[in-house]
Amino acid sequence: MAAGKEDRIALHRLMLVTRELDRVIGAADGHWHPALGEEGVVAGCYYGLLEGDALVPHYRGMIAACYARGGDLRRLLAGLDGRATSYSRGRYRSDVCGPIELGIIGLYSGALGPTLEYAAGAALAAKLDAKGAVAVAVFGDGTASRGNFHEAVNLAAVLKLPAVFVCQNNQIAISTPAQGEHGGRIVDRAAGFGIPGQLVDGNDVVAVHAAVQGAVARARRGEGPSLIDALTYRVGGHMAADPGAYRSAEEVEQWKQRDPIALHEQRLLAEGLLDAARAAALREAVAAEVGAAMKAAQSDPLPGPDVLGLDRVFAEA
Amino acid sequence: MTYAQAACGAVERALAADARVVVLGEDVGRGGIFGQYQGLQQKFGAARVIDTPISEATIMGAAVGMALAGLRPVVEMRVVDFALCAVDEIVNQAAKARFMFGGQGRVPLVARLPIGIWSGSAAQHSQSLEAWFAHVPGLVVVAPGSPQDNCGLLATAIDCGDPVIYMEHKELWGLEEEVDAAQRVPLGKARVLQAGTDVTLVSWSRAVQVARLAAAEAKAQEISVELIDLRTIWPWDRETVLASAAKTRRLVVAHEAVQVGGFGAEIAATVAEELGVPVRRVGGARIPVGYAPPLEDEARVSAGAIARALRA
Repeated sequence: MAAGKEDRIALHRLMLVTRELDRVIGAADGHWHPALGEEGVVAGCYYGLLEGDALVPHYRGMIAACYARGGDLRRLLAGLDGRATSYSRGRYRSDVCGPIELGIIGLYSGALGPTLEYAAGAALAAKLDAKGAVAVAVFGDGTASRGNFHEAVNLAAVLKLPAVFVCQNNQIAISTPAQGEHGGRIVDRAAGFGIPGQLVDGNDVVAVHAAVQGAVARARRGEGPSLIDALTYRVGGHMAADPGAYRSAEEVEQWKQRDPIALHEQRLLAEGLLDAARAAALREAVAAEVGAAMKAAQSDPLPGPDVLGLDRVFAEA
Repeated sequence: MTYAQAACGAVERALAADARVVVLGEDVGRGGIFGQYQGLQQKFGAARVIDTPISEATIMGAAVGMALAGLRPVVEMRVVDFALCAVDEIVNQAAKARFMFGGQGRVPLVARLPIGIWSGSAAQHSQSLEAWFAHVPGLVVVAPGSPQDNCGLLATAIDCGDPVIYMEHKELWGLEEEVDAAQRVPLGKARVLQAGTDVTLVSWSRAVQVARLAAAEAKAQEISVELIDLRTIWPWDRETVLASAAKTRRLVVAHEAVQVGGFGAEIAATVAEELGVPVRRVGGARIPVGYAPPLEDEARVSAGAIARALRA
């Protein structure tokens, strides 16, 4: 399913937003998990889903996912500081739990894996609802080591659920490299579940988008789940404050040369979909939008203890 | 020496002294996410300080198997909240094995499950679940409150023949004091930090720091507080606590964990049953820990709240 001209520009814009979010948030918050270098997977997965679809994003790229689903950037950024204007009113960090009102299921406890089960459940609900909605789950390669991955994907396969499982495979789990995390390729596990598996270049946003949309279309047709292994690389640390000194500078440099934004921009320029002036204007517009939202968010008030009352916490007896 | 360094030293000495001791868990090779394994893989090799995939249940299950096979694994679970992925392995396997095998099988493992509010970590990284584990027959539960105790108790825990749930507090990692590396702290022994005559105050883990402030506040109001750091939650030091409460004729228990169903209730009930003296509990509100600083503060146990209980 090839992306059209407008889609290609929109994919580029979403990657630019993802990177600008990293730049702005990373400078303010050492706890932020940057998606630097992984924007191709982030934008390729989150762009183009329909209203009614359930999205279970990876935490690395969560705010971009919420933004792609129509989230208000100021409110999303207010969640980083737990401000009263955030979707959760300060009860959780917006970069790990997306707002449910946007069809986003987050609730990462930090122990990874349960989100894949949520996705299987959302897909089961979508199947029962029979309106052609799908559930898309994006997770890291580290998460794929958890039993939850196997149980959730197997359940989706057995019940032929409309689910798409995308591994945002950055080849490292905090400090543990791929060879310390899994014995074979993640894509090859699809065969064991009896579902299609596709290996895709995660730094090619158009390829990721095509693979995800192809699997989504298949799921909408009632043909069951798919597994996509989107191979990319975490150029930054695990968190903004992590210098990532546990791997070689040469390796990081090699991947920087395959920057997904630069690759896509070159392609857009070569194809005449963008010229240098428009490319620069797009960058400036994105920087202005993110900057303004961040500035506004940071001046929003913190919540008072009254927010911890029973309101919106427990059902009334 | 910091609380983290003190623990690291204890593991290092255990690795050096006993070939059966191994460390396994996520990111231990880089030193652990809190630096509590710093340099150990470099010194003892990746075969004994083992980096694992993200698989908490399997890490714990594998450790149970290793322990039954004669090793003494130190199991890294990052935080207690993550160890909930491995509760079947801890509660149904590790805790039961010795009993169910008629005493033949032993599970000498130490599971490190750091507890407590660590500023900005919110509801799923801030829990103090020591009472959950104390409730399970077969488990030893330890909650060191100082660098010296973290050094001495961890060494003893690694030598213990039963599974030990070892609960360091995340806001204590940087706490510093002089540490005597040779000093071992026995399991099940509380420490009287400050003698007093009017009221016994029992606490543990980071709440001890808050309890000290409350005791000072009470002293200014001419209330003499006997402050006890329980150190081991199970088996808890009934002898020391009961002797103190028999002397002061009043007991306050203060902990960071949610007050409802907290281990303070067990201590208060025991003292009331045995001595018939007035008891009070101070613990966290029964609410998930909020992320924003003002919300987080609502979940913390304050010195003021403890001081009020001391006066009551």
